[in-house]
Amino acid sequence: MNPIKLALTYLRIGVLNEMQYRINFFIQLLQSFISVATGLIGLSLVFGQVTTLAGWSRSELLAVMGVHLLMGGVIRSLIQPNMERLMDDVRNGTLDFALTKPADAQTLVSVREFRFWQLVDVIVGIVIISLAFYELKGTLGFLQLLGFLAALIMGGVMLYCVWLMVTSISFWVIRVQEISNLFEGLYAAGRWPVGIYPDWLRTGLTFLVPVAFAVTVPAEALTNRLSGTSLLFALGMTVLFVFLARGLWLLGLSNYSGASS
Amino acid sequence: MTATISVSNLSKHYKVPEREGGMKAAVASLFNRKYRTVKAVDDVSFSIEPGEVVGFLGPNGAGKTTTLKVLSGLLHPTSGSVTVLGFEPYKRPHAYLRQVALVMGNRNQLSWDLPAIDSFELQRAIYGIPVSEFKKTRDDFIDLLELKDLVNKPIRNLSLGERMKMEIVGALLHRPKVLFLDEPTIGLDVTMQRRIRTFIKEYNQRWGVTVLLTSHYMADVEALCKRVIVIHHGRTLFDGELSSLVTQFSSFKTLGVTLPNPEVDLSQYGEVLTRDGARVTLRVSKARTSQVTANLLSDLQVDDLTVEDTPIDDVIDSVFTSNEETK
Repeated sequence: MNPIKLALTYLRIGVLNEMQYRINFFIQLLQSFISVATGLIGLSLVFGQVTTLAGWSRSELLAVMGVHLLMGGVIRSLIQPNMERLMDDVRNGTLDFALTKPADAQTLVSVREFRFWQLVDVIVGIVIISLAFYELKGTLGFLQLLGFLAALIMGGVMLYCVWLMVTSISFWVIRVQEISNLFEGLYAAGRWPVGIYPDWLRTGLTFLVPVAFAVTVPAEALTNRLSGTSLLFALGMTVLFVFLARGLWLLGLSNYSGASS
Repeated sequence: MTATISVSNLSKHYKVPEREGGMKAAVASLFNRKYRTVKAVDDVSFSIEPGEVVGFLGPNGAGKTTTLKVLSGLLHPTSGSVTVLGFEPYKRPHAYLRQVALVMGNRNQLSWDLPAIDSFELQRAIYGIPVSEFKKTRDDFIDLLELKDLVNKPIRNLSLGERMKMEIVGALLHRPKVLFLDEPTIGLDVTMQRRIRTFIKEYNQRWGVTVLLTSHYMADVEALCKRVIVIHHGRTLFDGELSSLVTQFSSFKTLGVTLPNPEVDLSQYGEVLTRDGARVTLRVSKARTSQVTANLLSDLQVDDLTVEDTPIDDVIDSVFTSNEETK
């Protein structure tokens, strides 16, 4: 079975079903509005005091906020729901069903859930980024756009890998529900460029939970701060994370024996 | 003909952490964990021919589910060898998984929020079933199980029995050649149990599918399985025809006697099992059955007399208890 076709089938059915619950759209819109509003208030508070923050201007930080919102939408619509279902499956023993299917189990558990309305955050994120761009009166060159998209995709892949690694721990300790909360807290730190944080936190946000790669690096690409070397480094990190995640997943799987024996 | 399922000297041992209750033991176990080996399956061998429906019996914790999980590739055997359709299940090759299905009565695979029809579509995508074949199979099953009005409702709105029927349809859409059913009728009412039984029987006969079934309902086993394998404490106690299980393990018959005078004491004829008004049931050893029947009829005025084999449930129960005693 072609994994892309499989993912698209799940996507299609997920969308069709979520369409029935239109109220979720409005709830999501409200949530996005609140996070944009609090973000803007935060920005205006900071820029009431200073004119730049660690070398970032107000409009540039608006772009960071947009990327943060966009990536947050991707996490909440695609990554988090699948990983939470995986945790449930491990705890309830229903992962057995996924493992007895003639498909790669990692692919299968990563595409089963899709929260369509969470994509509102992605749209709002793009709007904010455009707004920031307009304020910066910048022009978006083709290479710059390419760098941004590449950084975004690599960041997304890295976040997925971290989620998968953390979720794989559920093969040993069964209860990891609280980890979603922890993750959300750390991801919230990505609202600001990681450069403003002390070294130890910056290192953590770069290598442990790659918020730096998921938000700051794409934003750097947008604001002409990104060097080719950084992008190459991001690529190396992505490959490393993919291998680590796959390894830990396979190890966890071999340890899995179902909730009841 | 080569066997569809062949299991030889299969053992599956688990290492489980062990600790006593209480805070002190809980803290101690953080540092120095003690393990105990549980022999869930211990040296079990059997083979099943194509098209057979075999009942897998045993009390809770006997090792039935573990064996099914090894067969469906979820668990690695600790020792021994297992082949199904010529594959080694634990390697989980896709070519193997495409030909088998596992149904667990106490766990759902269909998504709670989706209507069954959508979940079926997902199964089609996973198994790569050609669309025309898929539609035909799906509609056949929906007709057979009378699910037409229910397939568009989210699973969470269905009753337990309806949900189980959907689960079975979902599991069979790719027309597996081997079917592992773990308690498929658990918690269902009698009508629904019968319905599912009939369906399994028909599926087996129509496609020549091999079925290995565990159930606590003897009615399931009696209706579907000629052959049973009884396991207890991970070991095989019996493997053969259901009828010979009865002759081998039951040396008693049950006599039902209805008397006009319920006061009469019948304990001299056999062990009195129940006494319900004028109706008394007696347990009598097989060898003495005809003699006791004759005596009853000549000694007393009898309105009605029946002679029955011990119900299969009681036979199974006596198999387990006799094994317990000899241990």
